[in-house]
Amino acid sequence: MSDDSVPLALPLLRLAAGSSEVTTLYRELRKPLLRYLVCLGLSSDEAQDVVQDAFLSLQRHLASEGERENIRAWLFRVAHNQARNRQTSYHRRFSEPLDGEMDFVADDATPEQRVLEKEKFRRLAAAVRLLTESERECLLLRAGGLRYREIGEVLGMAVSTVGDTVERAIKKLAEKCNV
Amino acid sequence: MCDAQVKLIAWLDRELSPEEAAEVDRHLRGCQECRGRLTSYKQVSETFDAYCDMTVATKARRLVSHWVPVLASAVVAAIAMILVLQLRRVGSPPVLTPTVAVTSVPAISVPVLKSDAAEPAPRKMIRRRHAVPPVRERGVKWQPTETAVQIAIPAEAMFPPGAMPEGMNFIAELSIAPDGSVQQVRLRQ
Repeated sequence: MSDDSVPLALPLLRLAAGSSEVTTLYRELRKPLLRYLVCLGLSSDEAQDVVQDAFLSLQRHLASEGERENIRAWLFRVAHNQARNRQTSYHRRFSEPLDGEMDFVADDATPEQRVLEKEKFRRLAAAVRLLTESERECLLLRAGGLRYREIGEVLGMAVSTVGDTVERAIKKLAEKCNV
Repeated sequence: MCDAQVKLIAWLDRELSPEEAAEVDRHLRGCQECRGRLTSYKQVSETFDAYCDMTVATKARRLVSHWVPVLASAVVAAIAMILVLQLRRVGSPPVLTPTVAVTSVPAISVPVLKSDAAEPAPRKMIRRRHAVPPVRERGVKWQPTETAVQIAIPAEAMFPPGAMPEGMNFIAELSIAPDGSVQQVRLRQ
């Protein structure tokens, strides 16, 4: 217990003692980053580790007078690269079947609504598995609220390529899901 | 198929220049087919978004289910420790007096015992009680000589979104000795 909690707590303390800029970014971007990483295939634990490491890198980056423009894309790129380095879990990927255990709809939904929603998500999950890696990554970053320019910075792609990739991916999903 | 169709998703994402966007706007007003496609792309984007949220929630729930036995055993261990402490506290006076009495009765090791047991014997007993289970030492007793470290971790930083039910909090108090070992673990709500 002590082995886990101490290294987890110390970076947080350092973050808390750091600049208010980092603290503000942490509050704003922690959840979107966690969501991106978890959907990429990381476990919740791994995603939390990666997010903490990314923010510590950010603190060092800002302390060393690094570039302050496009910090959001910078953070996502650092987190994305760290996720890539964790190859074993990264290859579990977003296409990991989760259908059986998902609570698909709100608790107050009728049984018919539940069935329909479940079917909709089952079809989407199947369609997502057919996407290429870059299509999936583009869609996940888009769902995280990133602009095409930022997605390009994270994935090292031209903005026009991002636009083409997003369009291709959305059309594939729409075709397979018939929504 | 119409030309404007290729820019529908970029239009949806507000990634077009004002001129291009105005062109798509004009086209959409007159093309029912493209309006239908746009609705479809919008719906699938929203479904994908909801699917991401559920992936996160499902994995977070799995994480909680992994932690439940760990937390439960920690709570059980803490309760057991408290009970043992209480029992020791209640039981110690009657236990101590007989041992002092017993040490003075047997004549087997009289020379050894008598040299020590005349006065310092009870003090020795107390010292051993503290040395064997160091966990039971009360913080107040060792604090002046050893540094206490207090670390506050917000629940939302430890657990992913949704893992911790709203309004539920617990406080884990760890007393950490200078050598890094944990002296005390206390969970309370």
